[in-house]
Amino acid sequence: MSSAAPAPVASAAPPDRGRQRIVLENVFKSFERAGQKTQVLADISLSADDGTFISLLGPSGCGKTTLLRLADGLIAPDSGRIAVSGHPPRPGPETGFVFQSFRLIPWATVSANIEFALLPTGLGRAERRERARRYMDLVGLTRFADSYPGELSGGMGQRVALARALIPEPKILLMDEPFAALDAQTRELMQTELMRLWSRLGSVVLFVTHSVDEAIALSDKIVLMGPRPGRILEVIDVGLPRPRQLFEMRSEPRFIELRDYLWNRIRTLVLTDPASDFYGRDLEPE
Amino acid sequence: MTTVYRVLFMVLLIALWQIASMNVGRNLIPSPLATFHTGTAMLADGRLVGALGASLSIYLTGLFLAIVIAIPLGIVMGGIRLLGKTLEVYVYALSATPRVAFIPLIIALLGLGFEAKITVVLLGAIMPILINTYAGVLAVDTQLIEMARSVGLSRTGIFVRIVLPGSVPFIIVGLRLGATIGLINTVVAELYTAVTGLGGLLAIYGNSFRMEEYFVVVLTLAMIGVVVTETLRLLESRLSGWKTAG
Repeated sequence: MSSAAPAPVASAAPPDRGRQRIVLENVFKSFERAGQKTQVLADISLSADDGTFISLLGPSGCGKTTLLRLADGLIAPDSGRIAVSGHPPRPGPETGFVFQSFRLIPWATVSANIEFALLPTGLGRAERRERARRYMDLVGLTRFADSYPGELSGGMGQRVALARALIPEPKILLMDEPFAALDAQTRELMQTELMRLWSRLGSVVLFVTHSVDEAIALSDKIVLMGPRPGRILEVIDVGLPRPRQLFEMRSEPRFIELRDYLWNRIRTLVLTDPASDFYGRDLEPE
Repeated sequence: MTTVYRVLFMVLLIALWQIASMNVGRNLIPSPLATFHTGTAMLADGRLVGALGASLSIYLTGLFLAIVIAIPLGIVMGGIRLLGKTLEVYVYALSATPRVAFIPLIIALLGLGFEAKITVVLLGAIMPILINTYAGVLAVDTQLIEMARSVGLSRTGIFVRIVLPGSVPFIIVGLRLGATIGLINTVVAELYTAVTGLGGLLAIYGNSFRMEEYFVVVLTLAMIGVVVTETLRLLESRLSGWKTAG
């Protein structure tokens, strides 16, 4: 197995893309459960520039979600330094978070759910309303403004969650496997939708995913992580031009090359991880 | 459609009642028609209205006090974990003790009047409201709380926007239970302390075998129960319309 990623065909992202919005330096994080300490993240150093889309890719148990929660300021690291826009991170309108399970408020309408993210901003009621209308339009949910989350399909629910994360116009968008709960078609449409919204917004995105294809299709950089303790193994420049046609892109040589490489690395990680269900198995076809 | 079945069932009940009145001896069960006539007579001469007023004032005052004490207390117990954990054992112990056991003490302390009666109602109604409010605050969705934190909402904001609305369905269940037990305790209080109100009439007519009047009082109590629980159900469907929507 080669240990270095194949070189990108196109040149990597231009250096003047933007300043370093998120910086993590030698970050360690562990959790204690029932008296037992588990190291979740070990020695994470990572930086993300404005306007870049970064995927965190890796098998279960490599601390990807924990890394997002650290970057949002929901939890604090045991040691190491985290800076967002030059300061220790604090949850708020500067950072949008999209959760895997949507986390919509069941007793609030679509409109009120989206507006919810503006409550701590100090914007007036009328202005919040107006902005919510604009973002509902942006994600195509205007017709459902007065519906409750229980009445929406999975794809619509995640669009509400996306609009809620985008409405404060955050500099940083953190997304935790946002499309994992969706069916394949909806997922593909949501990826296209996300690309469209992100290109307007120009924020930095940290995108956690299990899917190799999704990581390549969406990202500028892929951070490959390994499990127990969660650590960064490699940062790969995707080097595919933008704007991308998500469907046609899959037959491009660079896409196939990256996919083969990443699949092989992840397979090795899973087969050599003692905590994995597939530990030590020979998955080569007979 | 449900209304039609409900009316049909009522016709069936009245028919059974009629049959029973004809077959049980010694006039222990009055006929529906005789009961109806007695009822209109009692309404006309003011006996029923007076007793109803006395009972309702006890019931509603006791229930109101139970609500204004139990809901804030349950919220505070749920919001401050240490306080909740300290008090919950005693709350469960008190709610398992039959409240009738306290009546002699209440009479000794407060006498036989209005204060004693509303205390009996209050003691009965407060427990289910308190326990359900507490449970509702504890059952709040931690994922929604993390979402609200991530949005940047303050602790107070999270409490007001997520925790409280999330516990409303629990609180309403508590109100329904509390309202029912409160009504039971109203009658209990009127039987055990100074004999007044609908409970008083029950005792007087029951002890003197005036079964027509007695039946009128029982039916009046049943109707109060229906009105109260239906009102609360209406409130519930208004407050948690999102659950049944779609």
